[in-house]
Amino acid sequence: MKLPGCAEHVTLSRRSLLGAAALSGLAGAGVSTQLAWADPGYRGDTLVVLSLHGGFDGLSAIAPIGDTDYYKARPTIAVPKSQVIAGDGTFGLHPALAPLLPLWKGGKLAAVHAVGQANPTRSHFAAMDAMENAAPGTSIRSGWLDRMLGVTGATGPLAGVSLGAAMPNRLFAGPAPAVSMAAIDKFKLAGDSAKRPMAEALRQMYADAPPLLAGPAAAAGKALAVTASIPPANGANYPDTDLGAALRDVARLIKAKAGLVTAAVDCGDWDMHDALGTAVKGQRMYDNLADLALALAAFATDLGPAAMSSVTLLTISEFGRRVAENASHGADHGHGNAMLLLGGGVRGGKVYTEWPGLSPGALVAGDLAVTTDYRSVIGEVLQKRCGLGSLSDVFPGVKPSSFGLAAARG
Amino acid sequence: MTTRRTLLAAAGAATAAVTIGGVAAQAAPIAAAIPVAGDPIAHLLRRATFGPTPATLAEAAKLGVSGWLDMQLSPEKIGDGQCDAVVARLPLAGASIATVRAKLPVHSYEAFKQLGRAGVARAAWSNRQLFESVAAFWANHLHVAAPSSGGWDSRADYDAQVIRKHTFGKFADMLKASLKHPAMLTYLDNRSSTKAHPNENYARELMELHTVGLVYSEADVQAAARLLTGHTVGKNGGYVYDASKHVAGAVTVLGRTFADETAFADFLARHPATAQRIATKLCVRFVADDAPASLVAKLAKVYLDNDTAIKPVLRALFTSPEFAASQGKKTRTPFEDLIATIRTLGLGPEKSGTKALDAIYNALVDIGNAPYRWGPPNGYPDVAPAWASPSVFLLKCNWHLNLAAGWYPAGLARPADLRKALVPTLPATYGALIDALATRLTGTKLPATHTAAVLSVAGKLPTSPLTSSDKSLAGNFPYLVALVLDSPTFQLR
Repeated sequence: MKLPGCAEHVTLSRRSLLGAAALSGLAGAGVSTQLAWADPGYRGDTLVVLSLHGGFDGLSAIAPIGDTDYYKARPTIAVPKSQVIAGDGTFGLHPALAPLLPLWKGGKLAAVHAVGQANPTRSHFAAMDAMENAAPGTSIRSGWLDRMLGVTGATGPLAGVSLGAAMPNRLFAGPAPAVSMAAIDKFKLAGDSAKRPMAEALRQMYADAPPLLAGPAAAAGKALAVTASIPPANGANYPDTDLGAALRDVARLIKAKAGLVTAAVDCGDWDMHDALGTAVKGQRMYDNLADLALALAAFATDLGPAAMSSVTLLTISEFGRRVAENASHGADHGHGNAMLLLGGGVRGGKVYTEWPGLSPGALVAGDLAVTTDYRSVIGEVLQKRCGLGSLSDVFPGVKPSSFGLAAARG
Repeated sequence: MTTRRTLLAAAGAATAAVTIGGVAAQAAPIAAAIPVAGDPIAHLLRRATFGPTPATLAEAAKLGVSGWLDMQLSPEKIGDGQCDAVVARLPLAGASIATVRAKLPVHSYEAFKQLGRAGVARAAWSNRQLFESVAAFWANHLHVAAPSSGGWDSRADYDAQVIRKHTFGKFADMLKASLKHPAMLTYLDNRSSTKAHPNENYARELMELHTVGLVYSEADVQAAARLLTGHTVGKNGGYVYDASKHVAGAVTVLGRTFADETAFADFLARHPATAQRIATKLCVRFVADDAPASLVAKLAKVYLDNDTAIKPVLRALFTSPEFAASQGKKTRTPFEDLIATIRTLGLGPEKSGTKALDAIYNALVDIGNAPYRWGPPNGYPDVAPAWASPSVFLLKCNWHLNLAAGWYPAGLARPADLRKALVPTLPATYGALIDALATRLTGTKLPATHTAAVLSVAGKLPTSPLTSSDKSLAGNFPYLVALVLDSPTFQLR
């Protein structure tokens, strides 16, 4: 599988179809001049979910340097002990994560290893569906972020936002309103003015439309009234990547107190069947991790410790990669994986895991075994940081992990 | 064997019940409250082309459904001068590997770029509309992303020699051609798969996405990967078989033993699960998001009875009672919305160059639906919920106004007077004007409340009188056109 990369995404002319003439007149009726959408009912962290589509190689990012079988299985692409930049002798951070080292040492960044889904599928599409639905074996078809929003009761027009693409994010599939946008500044309606109230005409035309068409139109109308008032970014130093741009907008929404409960961002191109490579610049895993680390570090710097105290960011990926490398200096689809957690309430600087080991007998069809359900890790975050009680409406039948990976929110 | 879930996964769609904006979308009939032109000819052209025009409607009305299918299924007999002239400005869009290598520096994206623009131009302006619709279907089915790293020299050739060459041929032939094409072998990593360490990427997607679906086991993937080792790309960029990298001997996959990759591909193409999946995907493309089971069964049988030939399947689909009964059951993808807008407004290609094409392509990049640009190998999703987002809605509204007003992109050929082209005779009231405009653009009048909403931007009521001396009409007209195109009615395909 190939996905648009975080960094190498082709920079085409992104000139909008909007002509200059069409951009004027956005201050039509119904546009409020201040943000009054903070949901009074929601007092938890803003949860930012970063989907590392393609199959993130947790065995490179958080390398099991204390496991001799790791080096046997990956004679050319294992991260050498001498190159990791932090860790505990059992696990080490990939050197490309260097921009995150201060956050790791400051206890704001943690990793969880040998996590994943119970379902052993190695199909990207089945695994992504299952990861986003997060309720296998039930009749539930919504996305788990939609259910989380539902439990919080948040209903503001920007309570749930996905950034980076115009298409809907499947984590939000379901009844709670959510908005997808390529970027805040691209979320506009051309030609709307007091003289020609296009937005109001659209509202009337979609009032009686079938739900599938009315929903997006209504959500667009409500969100337009808010996005026009989101202040511009403050010039924080993000990398010039799609992920950097998306996280910059997430930070804008957080700082504007726009009622953001949860944001979803996709960052693809982790499907490294080939040229995953050694831990040096110019190799795919090194470069992707470096881009990821730069964007996350910029996000934390932009928000600052005060705002970060109410933000938790976590990564998910549909599966890890095969323990043994293939002929292309890559690794095929695997199973168990690592997650990253970043936030003011995270108890960071360490790797949480029930490590199953990489000896041939410990592997599941050649892959890292899953000893922790990824949903239980998220569940611990939802309870400690987002104020959720029972998880049954979000992750039916799942108990939160008891790693103590986050402090209970005061 | 193919379940709805499998198909949706393969189609990249949102899982079964995607709901957006506070609404359960899956079960809701899309068209419950929206009028749609009942004419079977208009229905056929909304589905089998990238959007009706007055000329194509008149032609199809004369030929009838069967006559129109006969004509369109013989694209070589259809003159296509205007489209050919535009595509001629994109000489690398179908160029051979050798030509691309001779013309471009290594890893240039120019051939990708020209191919994407050709995809826009052909949809908008080709007279071979059914061929282009079906070519787009196959390109999305045997998807090789453009751009994607590695295929800089081979992706254009893949379009010409795999997709377009076999678009109206046999799927088995297209599949075998894809299996030995450098673009596919590169995109799904088979080019670096060796005896010592097979790479499983292509073997898995060949079964999961291209043919039988999720009926395979992990052992099947590993066996198929061994069977495919050694099929790679040579120094000159062409396909080569390297026996030294191939795992010799017969291999058992899906319960059958194969001597070589050709026997395997022939088996896969004719597998009942493949017939079922392709029939289902064709129904989702042309009939309804929820494919009618009776039609899927019928088409799967036609497909197998005709040894994977596509023309008989298409004829059976478009003449079926299920198709006739499917009005209002598809919505336009963003790509289809933009192209249908260009076609219904009568916008033509720019006089020279490709600046306007570039602008259209980039607008499609912004909305996430530019030709061949989907990243993963499952192809663009083809069901309404996958595109039902506030951003997509706004971006479509914005290009309706820009195209109606002629603001952007500049340079497309336009009627000298858009109002006169769309509504030649001014009616006596504004309400009648919107009725005429909507009938021309969407095939039917809008509901009365929608007509009133459209007119609100001009400060008019449906009963407001309209005369040729009305000075406000010219300024308001593009906004009225845009709102008709923004209406729920135009969203239906």
